[in-house]
Amino acid sequence: MKISYSWLQNYFEEKLPDPEKISEGIIFHSFEVESLDNLETFGKEKEDWVFDIKILPDRAHDCLSHWGIAKEISVIFDLKIKDQKYEIFKPKSTNLKIEIQDEKCFRYMGRIVKKVNVGASPNWLKEKLQAIGQKSINNVVDAANFVMFDLGQPIHCFDLDKLASEKIIVRNGKTGEKLTTLDKKDISLDESILVIADGSTCSPQANEVLAIAGIKGGTKAEVDFNTKNIIIEVANFDATSTRKTAKKIGILTDAVKRYENEISPELCEKAMNAITDLIFELSEGEIEDVVDVYPKKALQKEISISIDYINKRLGTSFKEEEIEKVWQKLNFEFAKDNYLFKIKVPHLRIDITGPHDLTEEVIRVLGYDRLEEKLPEIRLDTKINETFAKMFWARNKLINDGYSEVMTYSFTDTGEVEVLASASDKKFLRNNLSDGLKESLRLNQLNAPLLEMNEIKIFEIGTVFLMGKEEIHVAYNDKKNIIEVSLNDFCKDMSSEPSLELRNYNLETKFIPWSIYPFISRDVSVWVPEKDNGEELKKLLKEEATDLLIRDPYIFDSFTKNGKTSYAFRLVFQSYERTLTDDEINIIMAKISHKIKQNSRWELR
Amino acid sequence: MENKTQKDLSTVAGREHPLSMVINNAVKIFIDLGFEVATGPELEDVWHNFDALNVPKDHPARDMQDTFYIKGEDGKVLRTHTSNVQIRYMEEFAKLGKKPPFAVISVGKCFRNEATDATHEMQFYQIEGLMIGEDISMANLKGVLSHFYKKMLGEDTNLRFRPSFFPFTEPSIEFDLKYKGRWIEMGGAGMVHPKVLENCGIDSNKYQGFAFGPGLERLMVIKYIMPDIRPAYHGDLRFSQF
Repeated sequence: MKISYSWLQNYFEEKLPDPEKISEGIIFHSFEVESLDNLETFGKEKEDWVFDIKILPDRAHDCLSHWGIAKEISVIFDLKIKDQKYEIFKPKSTNLKIEIQDEKCFRYMGRIVKKVNVGASPNWLKEKLQAIGQKSINNVVDAANFVMFDLGQPIHCFDLDKLASEKIIVRNGKTGEKLTTLDKKDISLDESILVIADGSTCSPQANEVLAIAGIKGGTKAEVDFNTKNIIIEVANFDATSTRKTAKKIGILTDAVKRYENEISPELCEKAMNAITDLIFELSEGEIEDVVDVYPKKALQKEISISIDYINKRLGTSFKEEEIEKVWQKLNFEFAKDNYLFKIKVPHLRIDITGPHDLTEEVIRVLGYDRLEEKLPEIRLDTKINETFAKMFWARNKLINDGYSEVMTYSFTDTGEVEVLASASDKKFLRNNLSDGLKESLRLNQLNAPLLEMNEIKIFEIGTVFLMGKEEIHVAYNDKKNIIEVSLNDFCKDMSSEPSLELRNYNLETKFIPWSIYPFISRDVSVWVPEKDNGEELKKLLKEEATDLLIRDPYIFDSFTKNGKTSYAFRLVFQSYERTLTDDEINIIMAKISHKIKQNSRWELR
Repeated sequence: MENKTQKDLSTVAGREHPLSMVINNAVKIFIDLGFEVATGPELEDVWHNFDALNVPKDHPARDMQDTFYIKGEDGKVLRTHTSNVQIRYMEEFAKLGKKPPFAVISVGKCFRNEATDATHEMQFYQIEGLMIGEDISMANLKGVLSHFYKKMLGEDTNLRFRPSFFPFTEPSIEFDLKYKGRWIEMGGAGMVHPKVLENCGIDSNKYQGFAFGPGLERLMVIKYIMPDIRPAYHGDLRFSQF
């Protein structure tokens, strides 16, 4: 989520640490910060920074908001959050009626504000929204958006005069009903979709759908610059059904993101206060009483946790005072009973369900650098898994027989098992290794001069997918033919007590990337005296072949006859920057021939 | 008379794929610590890949991994992690009436339905570790991981933890490794969530432990200084160059 630094500052009297410091604190105590950008859009004096913070599902309940992040900062940097005062107005009595007809709505708070002045938002509001990538629409809509990004509670406003009466109902949709969203998409509704509807029963607009609950408003009661009277909706809906509906109709809004992760219905009250204050401040109006339908009040969880439990799980020896300090920083109410803490979990912390969750709070607040590195002291009997041992044995056998290992993709164009919605055009899982190995053989044969191999011998060990089962296969080539058998068949002769003795690896090896340009290979065969080991010739070739020679010249054939030895060297030329031409290699080869002829002991074949 | 003086190249031992080298090295290090090797299927049911791991259906946590679902086989996926082996191992363990402690290591191919680039592939290898006992702690997790990377990459490495979230661990962390002066993100780990133990029939009031699952390509790439992981699966012998 995008979080503005100056927005966060509103929560604190004290000046916040630098954005970089804040970012580091969040990374090591709370969340991953994906980016931190400086914004100078509004001029130097109004400079702002924007964090992109990755809020994962466990904290999406309480941290998809500036308030949530401010609370984290308060914990990390031990800074006090300012007290907030609400209700800067005197509400009037109301005729608003709200009826919840389905239990997928946990709470619905509504409030009528009459005689609002809908207009452009003030600069400070536009800037805050713009900083986090939101467009300004009008002061009422912007206020609702602002409070959502501030507190994490989605809010919707309806134009009261576009309803037939002052009544709202929350009900399931009906097949055949339609709604046009604010962004002009037509959505067909059905019984699985929870909607907000006009509550009147005896008018042309009777029962008309105003919004898809928790997802998107419709054009029917849209707030525009002519709007005079509004209804503010601050509600709570079931996470799973909101998520399912959003997926079904293909609309993902910031409201959906919050509802699908489940937010506490207790949050509604604070949000209603905040939005009313803000609307009063921006557009004035006559504020009426809140109507709050909240059939089943959320219970506050109480979790007991001992200091022993925490230290045993973490492998630490934190003292009581230190742990107590953590609860205080987190603003968790607690009671002490010997070595037991009884914690009252704040409503918004839906993620905390047991002592294991509280343990995480302790260590992330105190810092993971407080964990020592301790190797466990238990000794166990190692047992080697048969499948792994077979793969190990098969690989070693093939390598010792001169085969080199390749790996190819599990995805192919054809097969028996197909994946859904692949990001790639290869939608099937391989049902054999042979096809991939054949391709590999072709590629490696073309590259043979680069590989210092007279014959390409390759193998792959891997899983293939057949209708209803998967199987590990071994495939290798015999010249052009590919032989593929199951791992079990391949390992028929394996001893019953396999060892996992490793081959000797050079740990200092460094990988050498190869050139993407074609190579040119040339052979030179020379007769030398029988005692000549060819080293001098190799040295000459290396010197004369210039730095276009991609690897040392190597002997691919040699034999001795009548007191003379014939050495056939292969020279491979390749550039990392360009495609070489035959002409330039011909010039090099001509020079080499010339040099060889100058040596009377050597004879070009 | 002809006589071959040069050794026939075709009888020279072949080359091992660098990923196999990394895998075998890694497994050996854990075997020496007393871990048992386990394996599991690549095409998995949703119980072992998600449900048992406390990743609920119709929950945003399932979206954390881009999953390949199988056409015509409801309830089957290409495993998104090797954590399915944890579940299979523990279920079997509990069924046989055995009691912890135990430690398991599993290396295997996993799949994510996402676009590929120089550091991401749709298929990749993960190394999954799991250790459960009466007092296996998070400090032990740090000890084991640190030991592993020091053996793998040399003593001059440092480990650090950052908070994260996985439905199957609590606390959950991401860990970074300092190697050659640079911090590199290596993978995720944490203390096994009590629900996961209970789902497999292991008493979570009595037993606790850790699990980790870093990718192996990352390790291969930094060990051998490779610019791109994709050629690993191209069947290209230029890649198997050691």
